[in-house]
Amino acid sequence: MFERFTEDARQAVALAQEEAVALHHGWIGTEHILLGILRADGDGARLLAGFGVEAAGVRDDVVRIVGLGEQDIDRDALATLGIDLEAVRERVERAFGPGALSRRGRCRRGGIGHSVPFTARAKKVLELSVREAVDLAERDLRGEHLVLGLLREGEGVAARILTARGVTHAAARERVAGRDAA
Amino acid sequence: MAAQQTRDLAGAVDSTDPQVGLAAVASLRNLVERLEELHVANARERGWSWQEIGAALGVSKQAVHRKHGRRRRLLG
Repeated sequence: MFERFTEDARQAVALAQEEAVALHHGWIGTEHILLGILRADGDGARLLAGFGVEAAGVRDDVVRIVGLGEQDIDRDALATLGIDLEAVRERVERAFGPGALSRRGRCRRGGIGHSVPFTARAKKVLELSVREAVDLAERDLRGEHLVLGLLREGEGVAARILTARGVTHAAARERVAGRDAA
Repeated sequence: MAAQQTRDLAGAVDSTDPQVGLAAVASLRNLVERLEELHVANARERGWSWQEIGAALGVSKQAVHRKHGRRRRLLG
């Protein structure tokens, strides 16, 4: 699937995984793809910057909407029982992969792997992004197409964050297509 | 360093303080739930029956199936 991805689009996907791990989320959702795009500093980030969308504000929104992983497990409270949550996490992640402890049935686990799995919605976004590139008659999938894919999907956390900031699929596509024509 | 701070905190608290004790129990329960989800899913992937999983957990197969059986189909 990633053969036609440009370097910054690939970077966005890799950074999406990094964001998921950093937030202790056991899945890569549309929200992490959005953060990945913003951090990859490619044409996707520039398109979003044109709408005033930046990584820091989006990350705050993600934490507000989704929360941090394991919010219901208090490290200090467990320490009063002599349980070291970090030691537990290390063992669990060694067996079940990064973020395993905060996985909440949002994604189907394909066996015991060591990478964070994509949610069904995130996979759909990648597919829709490919379609956006095809619709624009472009050979390569760029960060901008990922943005359009997020907006086309329309229901994920990323789409909600973007919609709340006034970014619509029509407006974004117009900018992408308009500049290509120019 | 962070672990040391945590240990200091743990040593400093009065273990008869209900707030502390109950918070610890709540976190421990949530941790156990998370571990149970992971290990039940792992057992199912390895072909264990609900009967076998229930036996290992010390509960009936109905109880374990009721709790975890629908989860997989609700995903995505």
